[in-house]
Amino acid sequence: MIVLDPTDESASAHREAIARPATLDGARVGLLDISKPRGDVFLDRLEALLAQRGVAVRRYVKPTFAKPMPPDLRREIAAECDVVISALAD
Amino acid sequence: MPDFPRDGVVAVVKRDCPTCRLVEPVLAQLAGVVVYSQDDPAFPPGARDDTDLAASLALGVETVPTLVRFAAGAEVARTEGWLRPAWEELTGVDGLGAGLPEHRPGCGSRTQDPELADELLVRSRGHTLASRAVELTALEDEAEALFDRGWSDGLPVVAPTQARVLRMLDGTSRAPDEVVAVVPPNLVPVTVEKVAVNAVLAGCRPEYLPVVLAAVEAACTDEFNAHGLLATTWGAGPAIVVNGPVAAEIGLNSGGNALGQGTRANSTIGRALQLVIRNVGGGRPGGVDRATLGHPGKTGFCFAEDEAGSPWEPLSVSRGVAPGVSAVTVFAAEGPRGIADQISRTPDSLARSLAAGLRTVAHPKLVMGFDATLVVCPEHARVFAAAGWSRADLEGALAEALTLDPAEIVRGAGGIEEGVPAARATAPLPKFRPGGLMIVHAGGGAGMFSAVIGGWVGGAAGSTPVTREVRP
Amino acid sequence: MHDFAALEARGVVAAFCASTEFVDASAAQARALGYREVPAVFVPHPIQDRTDDETRALADAALDAVLAAVTTGGPAR
Repeated sequence: MIVLDPTDESASAHREAIARPATLDGARVGLLDISKPRGDVFLDRLEALLAQRGVAVRRYVKPTFAKPMPPDLRREIAAECDVVISALAD
Repeated sequence: MPDFPRDGVVAVVKRDCPTCRLVEPVLAQLAGVVVYSQDDPAFPPGARDDTDLAASLALGVETVPTLVRFAAGAEVARTEGWLRPAWEELTGVDGLGAGLPEHRPGCGSRTQDPELADELLVRSRGHTLASRAVELTALEDEAEALFDRGWSDGLPVVAPTQARVLRMLDGTSRAPDEVVAVVPPNLVPVTVEKVAVNAVLAGCRPEYLPVVLAAVEAACTDEFNAHGLLATTWGAGPAIVVNGPVAAEIGLNSGGNALGQGTRANSTIGRALQLVIRNVGGGRPGGVDRATLGHPGKTGFCFAEDEAGSPWEPLSVSRGVAPGVSAVTVFAAEGPRGIADQISRTPDSLARSLAAGLRTVAHPKLVMGFDATLVVCPEHARVFAAAGWSRADLEGALAEALTLDPAEIVRGAGGIEEGVPAARATAPLPKFRPGGLMIVHAGGGAGMFSAVIGGWVGGAAGSTPVTREVRP
Repeated sequence: MHDFAALEARGVVAAFCASTEFVDASAAQARALGYREVPAVFVPHPIQDRTDDETRALADAALDAVLAAVTTGGPAR
């Protein structure tokens, strides 16, 4: 479907990632394990590295990497996190 | 452009049309006629394929069969349907269609087919649109995609397809590339077309577009100061009151629930203005819009004045527009709040009631800052009409009742620290600046409930209501 | 990518880590969802047969890119 841009067209016509915070200070950060092998090890280390920088994280696990996350998990993360990093797809 | 003969005759037909089939032998009789077939290139034998309707559109065919004569590259004659004398005259051949009836009406051209209307509209006029075309991908849900791009105020919007925008533009005689206004806060020039795109998003019908255009013009003036209204932490937004014949023509509600939901024109015209400010001007909540609370009418706030039932001249006429001319007045508005008075039967008592409600605008102890609009309901207006009060009489009575005792409004009075500084509270002070109270007549026939619509800081430092005529 | 789009639509800043094998696939999926590019951090393929130490080393190497993908102000202190 083609639609006409209602804006002043100064921004990209593509979808853009939403605005990033300057730093993770004070942000509620989540790490999402998509349930592929080695992802947990990778995320454990990332959690430790972030902790060294004073950033605490919440951990989430998606039931299977093969499907988008179930609505419950999506709601949970959206309610509890400002920032989410998922790993590890290959 | 199809390859029409410089000198000669063109016929446009379709197999689906009984009259076209009837004249097949006539076309066979007319050597040299170029026949275009809209639906079946094999009908009649030797026809040119016009299933894409390019030739039909170029000729503006509305009926089949259509016969057109060209001379020196220009059309010089045309006939539709089957009428023997007309065909004989146009082709210069006598004795056509022996055995056929003298006359048979034609059928609708496929270019008139409603199923093809959008496609043909875009094909014939899509190139006139200047707005960037954005392709939504197959995996995107159409409604979600429009939210994701930030084009919505939080409610679903109508996808601004080229066909919808072209139909919207049919609602005005103004050229699509005409600049309507420069939209704050980013001061972006907005064309008629871009307003039309946002009017589609908002859910407007094409006939609303002239009202939307006038509202955008009015809201983007220095006097209205949409930038300041947006940027203030105060929660008011632009509202539109419509006067004149256009209101009834497009179905704007001035009666029961005029300030509420349920009327498409009311709900979508105000929304279109707000979407122009959001999408074109870049004025968004959390961005330039710093409202502490805002109010639900900031999604869109538009209603018509009930002129027929009003004891007074239309608001637009009071504001300098000729009687009978449609106009919009844009003003800063909070949400409306009712004032009940089911007892007063004299205009003086009722005016004092309404004044008591108006006194609370912004704060009961603050004066001369905020403007307001009073919407007088029919059952209240009846009391003033019976007493022969003009709008000016009511304004005068309200001004008198709203001349406040400094002892009541000085800071600290009534145990409330807010109020007028002691240095200013030396004499009675008017609640509203001159011209800071606007009176409109609207509402259902039953209910002695008028409404106060608080505004924002009035005058040069804030926002002044602006009236603009609605141009077709 | 669908998770990314779903989270961002709900106001959650999202980024994902994937192996370099995933570069083309994620770009194609991003385009199909209307994005030109998305914040992704790619680590060298393969993943699944890495030892724990090797995997932790991948995380060490990826940290700055991860922070850059979810912030504008560089590494957190």
